[in-house]
Amino acid sequence: MTSHYRAALQWQSRAVLGRHLTVYRRNWHTAALPPLLEPIILLLAFGVGLGGFIPELTWREQPVSYLAYLAPGMLAYTAFMTAFFQALFAAYIRMHYQKTWEGQLITQVRLEHVVWGEVLWAATLGTVYALIVTLVLAGFSLSGWLHLHWMNAFLVLPLLFLAALAFATLGLLFTAIVPSIDHMNIPFFLVIMPLGFASSTYFPMEGDSLWSVAWLALNPLHHLAEGIRLLLLANALNYHLVAACGLFVLMILILVPVDERLLRRRVLGES
Amino acid sequence: MHSYGPDFPDEPVLLATGLVKQFAGRRVVDGVDLCCQAGQVLGLLGANGAGKTTTLRMCYGFLQPDAGTIRIAGIDRRADPEAAARQTGVCTQDDTFDTDFTVSGNLKQMSRYFRPRPTAVKARIAALLERFGLDRYAQAKPDVLSGGYRRRLMIARALIHQPKLLFLDEPTTGLDPQARLEVWELIDTLRREGLGIVLTTHYMEEAERLSGELLILREGRVVAAGQSRAVLGDLIGEHMLVLDAHDPAMPAVCAWVRQAGLPEPARVLSNVHLALDGPGLAQFSSQFGDLRFEVRPPTLDDLFLKLAKKP
Repeated sequence: MTSHYRAALQWQSRAVLGRHLTVYRRNWHTAALPPLLEPIILLLAFGVGLGGFIPELTWREQPVSYLAYLAPGMLAYTAFMTAFFQALFAAYIRMHYQKTWEGQLITQVRLEHVVWGEVLWAATLGTVYALIVTLVLAGFSLSGWLHLHWMNAFLVLPLLFLAALAFATLGLLFTAIVPSIDHMNIPFFLVIMPLGFASSTYFPMEGDSLWSVAWLALNPLHHLAEGIRLLLLANALNYHLVAACGLFVLMILILVPVDERLLRRRVLGES
Repeated sequence: MHSYGPDFPDEPVLLATGLVKQFAGRRVVDGVDLCCQAGQVLGLLGANGAGKTTTLRMCYGFLQPDAGTIRIAGIDRRADPEAAARQTGVCTQDDTFDTDFTVSGNLKQMSRYFRPRPTAVKARIAALLERFGLDRYAQAKPDVLSGGYRRRLMIARALIHQPKLLFLDEPTTGLDPQARLEVWELIDTLRREGLGIVLTTHYMEEAERLSGELLILREGRVVAAGQSRAVLGDLIGEHMLVLDAHDPAMPAVCAWVRQAGLPEPARVLSNVHLALDGPGLAQFSSQFGDLRFEVRPPTLDDLFLKLAKKP
């Protein structure tokens, strides 16, 4: 059982990660544009533009501008979406169309290393993109548009890496089971987009019903967004950060062996 | 020029015994034994679905056998898969080079997937590029290469870490005759340098020309093994008669075949192929002296046709 997790630290996983880094480094000038421009555009369009029409929100019985509410949510959303997207679409293309995995599996690299290489890469990219968002938020803070404890954003980067690891394992799960690239619309629009928005990222999620309480209690993205928000807006360490950590570790522990088993069947034809 | 000779000359570079593999309850490989020495080409032949690629994939570690043992250059693959993989080079049937890298970059990237790290990688890449005629494409992406050069890149990539054993899964499928001949020459040179090579192919001429030893698979089992002529003699017969299927005497020939208890002749387009041994040919000639027919030695094509038939 521990061999599933031990592979994360073995040189073969680093070799796979290194391969992805090498390719990315070559295209960094075009690849870095989306994570740089997307938060600027979203903060301007929703935070400043739409936020101008929205009166101050009441969040935890405190008035807060929509721009300030949105900023921490974007950090959580970026780590989540980048890691998931990489582990779903990009990994599927490498597995199915480019045959990159097959080329790696005829060497000393085994499937568990390919899985960890993909997960580590998706998490690295998710964290780097979150770091870029952090720098954009710092720019907004310094220019006086936002009032955040933005230095705390750098403290949550390890947590964002853990979150990205967990969401990458979820992305790989779908990579392992979708019949074709066209079928990726199903998990993307039925699971990921709803999860991305209904998690206190772009708007507050509240409710007294059993369903909404359970949804929020078990939703790691909600805990991540709220935890970061409390840290950035109120400078408060909080239980959401602990809950998020616990849920992410649980996801990784469960999903890594499942991904490996399903991908073994898909890639190698073995049960 | 690099020599691929073994560290322990007495140990075969590949020794596999009793290989078994099941998929969904069906035995795709059923008790196959393989042995390949350094400086030898072992050819694996069989119709589609005979279990060639599955056997190969178990030997190079892509699949785990359900039963059996595999030793690569004296290393037990199950006990030490990493060390066994270090001695193994693989050229898969499909192109599996990395399209995000150049030709030269592919070789460099491949070297990063092995420990101990291949030594003098830069010089090794330059030597492989020159040897395989890829030096002028070193900075090009592999997608711009012709089929023949893609195969060369696949083989060069499989050799970057100086393995002792090379697996080639249908290495010339889809190539034009000129490119095929060039790949054959490369394979033969590698064999002469001491590399052990295991080859699967659909091209009979390729198997006959390159393989010192043949292993014929049918429905996951070895049905014949040995040198190509001996294998053909065992499975087909000494002589192959080619008759006109529309000849009026054919019903009489078929009746004679049945009466003699011989295997049913194969129909190939407008011809009938009948395999006979020496006494059988003498009998046939005396019985059907007026019939026009051609006698030729059996080929691996005849073997393939025979294997393709249901038992």
